[in-house]
Parts: sequence; structure tokens; C-alpha cells
Amino acid sequence: MALLKSFILRNVFLTTHRAIVSTIRPSSNAPLVEDDDAPVDIENPFKKEKVQCILCKLNIVPDYKNYRLLSQFQSPYTGRIYGRHITGLCKTKQTLVEAEIRKAQNCGYMPYYYKDKTFLKDPKLFDPENPIRSHRF
Amino acid sequence: MPAYELALLLRAMPKGELKKTLTRISHAIFNRGGIIRNIENLGFRAMPYKTSSHGLVHREANYYVFKIDTATQSVADLKEEYSRDVDIIRQRVFKMNENMQSSPCTLAEELLPPAYREEVQKMVEVGKTQVNRFTYKFKYNSGLDYYPFQK
Repeated sequence: MALLKSFILRNVFLTTHRAIVSTIRPSSNAPLVEDDDAPVDIENPFKKEKVQCILCKLNIVPDYKNYRLLSQFQSPYTGRIYGRHITGLCKTKQTLVEAEIRKAQNCGYMPYYYKDKTFLKDPKLFDPENPIRSHRF
Repeated sequence: MPAYELALLLRAMPKGELKKTLTRISHAIFNRGGIIRNIENLGFRAMPYKTSSHGLVHREANYYVFKIDTATQSVADLKEEYSRDVDIIRQRVFKMNENMQSSPCTLAEELLPPAYREEVQKMVEVGKTQVNRFTYKFKYNSGLDYYPFQK
């Protein structure tokens, strides 16, 4: 008896569920409403701009004859060439700058052990006290 | 004929003599079948360091840059001739690189934390293929009937 009762109950439940679902489900021929408030696909507005080194940004190719520009990458105290962690140049430009400084020094355009005193007040391209990566010392 | 840049320092001298020296320099190029594209005068100024040449100490110089097209074999010849010229304090020859392809700036990739940098990732990959010297232990079942290291 109990078995029969449970069977009927289960059957009823199944059918009613089906009926409810059919009423809830929307008919396929109903007009689709365009929602102008829906999210749209755009590019990420918070995407950061690609950082470029100063020589790449201004499209400058270092040249040994332009010793005034090159002297900006030289220490005013010792005449040594600042490293990549200070100058903030990309690898290719840093090697180019170093090679051109060597050439200029060898040609007698630029001093080895100091910076030309007429260029001492040139605008600073970077701050040696605040390097991108910490100093070794 | 490849293009060369000739950076010359000429000694301090009056204008007439300078003119004669410049013509002598250019004739040396012409005699070897070279051509001069351009002569740049960077002026007369004090040198950053004193230079002695041909028994004299020079502290000032006339700076000239010659852009020339000449055969590769004649460059050594020119250098030798200019080295004998007493009016030339210093001479340097550079090959001009006209087709300099400006590669895109790689600064953004270089500024990434080490784990994201390509060269570091490559280094880690190489490290995985190597034997770790700190944790390596000799295995006695290697087929050798003697211990190969000092005990």
C-alpha cells in the first residue's frame, strides 16, 4: 500500500513539474528586446601605454660626432659611462651609446676622465641617485 | 665601394696652410680612386686631452670629418699616408652603417620582474638540464668497480 502511495505521489510530482516548466519557458517567437544598457566589447581602457626608452621615443640614433648628447650619459665626476640601470635605456640603445662614447673619446671629441665643463649644466635625462634597479654598491 | 667616415684632427695653423693640407688629404683619396661625399668642419677647439704627435704637443685642433667612398684595400694605404703627414694629429676611420634597422624598443620587457623575462626563463630551462652540483651525490651502483673520487 505504501509503495503504491509513494508511486502515485512521485508521478504527480513529475507531471506538475513538467507543467510548471512549460508555463515558465518563454515562447520562441517572442520579440527580442535590444538592451542598449548591455555591456559592449571595447579594448581595455586601463591598459598601460608601452614604456619606451628616451632615445627610442624620440627616434635618436647616437652618433660619435654628437658628443654633447653622449656627454649626458657620462658621470660629471669621473667621466665614466652610466649603466643601464641608471640611464633607463633599452639594451640595444645602451650598447650603441657606449660604443659611440668610446669612439668619440678615441677620436678626441670627448674627455675620458671628466665631463666637458661647458656641458655640465645640460638638462638631466635621469637621476643617478634614483636608479631603476639598485646599485651594486 | 663602401662608405667610410674619416675623422681627422689637424694641427692649429693659418688658413692658407689649412687649405693646402685639406687639398693634400683629398688628393690622396682621389689618387686611390676614391670619392669624397662630404667634408664636415666641426671647428677649431681645445682638445679634451693633450696629444703629442710628430714630436710636438698639441692642445688645440681643427676637427674635420670626411665622408668618403673608397675601395677597402686603399683604406690601410690612406691611413699609412696620413700617419706620415705632420699636420694630422689624429686620424680614425669608421665604416658608415647606412641601413641601420631601428629595432623596436625592448625596455618594457626588460622592466618586467625576473620570472617573466624571457632570458631568465631560458636560463632556468638551461639550469634544469644541468647537474646540480650542490645536491648531486655519486651513485655507487654506476658500474665502476672503484670509487673515482678521493675519499
